[in-house]
Amino acid sequence: MEPVLRVRRLRKHYGAGGGLVRAVDDVDLDVAPGEALAVVGPSGCGKSTLLHMLGALDRPDGGRVWLGGERIDRLSETAAARLRRRAIGFVFQAFHLVDELTARENVELPALLAGASPRAARRRAAALLDRVGLADRAGHLPAALSGGQRQRVAVARALVNDPGLLLADEPTGNLDTAAAGDVLRLFAELRAEGRTLVVVTHDARIAAAADRLITMRDGAFVDQTVFAPSGLV
Amino acid sequence: MQDVLLALLAKEPAHGYDLRARLRAALGPLGGDLNDGQVYVTLRRLEKAGLVTARLVGQGDRPDRKVYEPTPAGRERVARWLADVDPAARPAPTDLYLKLVAAASSRLADPVDIVDAQRRELLRRLADVQRAALAEPAGSGPALLLEGAVLRLQADLRWLDACAAHWTDRKK
Amino acid sequence: MGRIILICRLARHDLRRRPAQALLLLLAVAAAATTLTLGLLVRAAADDPWERTRAATAGPDAVATASDARSLRALAKADGVTGALRPLPTVAARLGVRDVAVNAVVQGRDVAAGSIDQPFVTSGAWLRPGSVVVERAFADALRVRPGDAVTLAGRRFTVAGIAVTTGRAPYPSSTPGLIWTTRADAARLPAAQRRWTMPLRLADPSAAPAFAARHPGVTPWQDLSAYATAELRLTNNALISGAWALAILAGLCVALLVGGRLAEQGRRVGLLKAAGATPAVVAVTLLAEHLAVALAAAALGLLAGRAAAPLLSGPNAGLLAGDGPALTPGITAAVLLFAVAVTATATAFPALRGARVSTAHALRDPVRPPRRVGVPPGLPVTLLLGLRIAARRVRRTVLAALSTAVTVAMIVAALAMNREAARKDGRTTGPDFVPGAGNPVTERVTQIILVLAAAMLLLAAVNAILTAWTTTLDTKRTSALARALGATPRQITGGLAAAHLIPATIAATAGIPLGLLINKAAHAAAGSSTTTQIPLLWLAAVLPAALAATTALTAVPLRKAATHPIAPTLTAP
Repeated sequence: MEPVLRVRRLRKHYGAGGGLVRAVDDVDLDVAPGEALAVVGPSGCGKSTLLHMLGALDRPDGGRVWLGGERIDRLSETAAARLRRRAIGFVFQAFHLVDELTARENVELPALLAGASPRAARRRAAALLDRVGLADRAGHLPAALSGGQRQRVAVARALVNDPGLLLADEPTGNLDTAAAGDVLRLFAELRAEGRTLVVVTHDARIAAAADRLITMRDGAFVDQTVFAPSGLV
Repeated sequence: MQDVLLALLAKEPAHGYDLRARLRAALGPLGGDLNDGQVYVTLRRLEKAGLVTARLVGQGDRPDRKVYEPTPAGRERVARWLADVDPAARPAPTDLYLKLVAAASSRLADPVDIVDAQRRELLRRLADVQRAALAEPAGSGPALLLEGAVLRLQADLRWLDACAAHWTDRKK
Repeated sequence: MGRIILICRLARHDLRRRPAQALLLLLAVAAAATTLTLGLLVRAAADDPWERTRAATAGPDAVATASDARSLRALAKADGVTGALRPLPTVAARLGVRDVAVNAVVQGRDVAAGSIDQPFVTSGAWLRPGSVVVERAFADALRVRPGDAVTLAGRRFTVAGIAVTTGRAPYPSSTPGLIWTTRADAARLPAAQRRWTMPLRLADPSAAPAFAARHPGVTPWQDLSAYATAELRLTNNALISGAWALAILAGLCVALLVGGRLAEQGRRVGLLKAAGATPAVVAVTLLAEHLAVALAAAALGLLAGRAAAPLLSGPNAGLLAGDGPALTPGITAAVLLFAVAVTATATAFPALRGARVSTAHALRDPVRPPRRVGVPPGLPVTLLLGLRIAARRVRRTVLAALSTAVTVAMIVAALAMNREAARKDGRTTGPDFVPGAGNPVTERVTQIILVLAAAMLLLAAVNAILTAWTTTLDTKRTSALARALGATPRQITGGLAAAHLIPATIAATAGIPLGLLINKAAHAAAGSSTTTQIPLLWLAAVLPAALAATTALTAVPLRKAATHPIAPTLTAP
């Protein structure tokens, strides 16, 4: 099957000379439709940089990235924004909800940016908040939500435009065990639904919930684990 | 224990006293219960099994000492041991640690590779246990039990990350 | 001691790291300080030329005019009069210079110098029969020099000299212009009506107004002085009120800078406090920085004001100029105090407020807790975002709005003044006025209005840019986030700019009546009851012009910030 995401010789370096950091160093990657991929590695190994380039949040120094057959590594800011709103959902470690907007407005935001009617955006936001178990918190500002609740709102927001690719950067990094468990359950569900997921994490539990796990060290892929499909254990 | 001593000898021949000192240095306070007898008994067993040979070396005014050296069969066994991933997936930290120390000092294997192999195994285990846990309704007794297993595996994985970082830094 | 060194070190470091901000602050305070210096210098200079001319011409304490010489001779013996000149024949005549003809007042004088009100010749020589001497301001307007030929009522005369006087306010403060001939020449001029003028010396010059009140046809020297220096006083009033408006704008500028710095340094403030610095240290550091800049700006303003003062404070040609205005210790102290007070006030309030924020809060997140605002549904989502952000920074929104309101108000007031000047110019045509010669009074006021308006617009622009800058700092994370979620840079810029525009519209709309009110108050202060009608079209044009300027000035920094890379902002802790 044609991969959803295809990466060839992707490179991003910071600094120069003795201080050169090879954040991502000539990386190749294919992500199949419906695959859940986890990228693990010590902090500073370049996995967040990789994720940002996959989501057209950051420009690579070299290499190419195709998303659904379209080159996305050289997009203008405006084109990148349009691509993100249409094709990519993001979940961040620091939740990154818009502080000024309520939970529902946060979920509606990408839909409205993508041109959905206010009514349609509201309907989808309500359904997604219900799904992540926060229907009763829709009117709250992020400041009034717990970490786990904020991250669930963020997941709902990432799904509102039904993107072909979901990117998550340490989704449980700022959560306690119980809240992380909720988010884990949510990701396991998304995987079971056949969503294409790329999760960057150092949480082994999230990593173990993937189909495939790549270990990254010093900007390069050093190890790969393919988990047996569930049910065959 | 046999494997550890064999691996240490694979780097260079040594006598029992040396081996004991090197183990003590690697284990720190945990090596306190390691007595001389244990090392010599193990070495004799290895000799009997044909995995090491011993020869006497003169030391001038003091009594001669036995210097041990692995046989080809012994070297083969070390290689197998280093490549072997613990099927239980959760080896005791000391065992794995000594294996990593032995691998590093004998230069027969990259300790980081051993860690990676071990981690793959642990992750598979974690994935299995986790799937089982997620299949249970939240809050049930079995879910709680499985949660315990998940947390212990996570702890092991974290320690493996620390091992990988340790030997990655050594390599640089 | 150690604390002072720490504060100085922090302050110096900050100033060096932010030269642009320090420069903006310097510019804002210096503009206000320059204007104040000018205003004070011009006021100090206003009395000087009159006194000098009065001394040089043995100026009269009062001047009496009458249609017959006999009543004047009686007045010369009145109580309180200690000396009087023989009444001077005074006739109106048509003056011809080249192809120009204008009404003039001809005064017949003795060829010998008198003891009272003897015009002081600044070029050429005093009268001889067949020649005239022209009052200097009138001569300037006519562009005549000694040796030129003129005609009075058709008779030819030669200009013997140019002179100044304090017996009559110079042209065009009093019209027609004044020209002197010998008594005999004046008597020979054909005229429909002859009047007599008599300069007087009084026992008590300060009681001249009372003396004038008792005797009709007498003008006290105080009135003459007021007429002669009216333009300087007008200049001074415009400058002082301009200095106030600029001070308000400069104060707003300082407050905006402090707000921006606190937003930018929120975390640093927290770190400093975590390291044991008290809130006072943080506030005092900012204060020290700003005061250093303010003192430099005040010095700059004093120098600039001193340099520019001769352009504005030179008396009109009818009076003798002195050495020009000097910076007295009083003026220097006033300007320094003014700069320090404006800066300290505008710094201390927000800095203390910011410093009082709890340490843990500052470390956790530099942004203030959000505030919910009801926003009508159906607005574009980026505008909604912009409005929420604006609502979250109420204080800054108010500061920016104030800046817009003050600017619009002062522009409206300036338009009104300009209109008055134009109307006065409109009245300077007629047989009494030299055709083609400008009115020095309105010319100078127009110049000052232009300069003040330019300074004000500059400060308002600085404020608009600062507002946009602080907004980009405050919204860095939110806008990066919105872009990560698919908002284009254009959408972000549009939303934030539109959110700026709403308070700006309200402020600009409020500024128009405020400006009219200021104008009315200025008139009331000047004791004149006339009101100026500004064409409605002008007022209507001020609003879109102000809004367009605000949008252009804010959109550029906003747009620049909206195209910054997203990733670093999102990964920053």
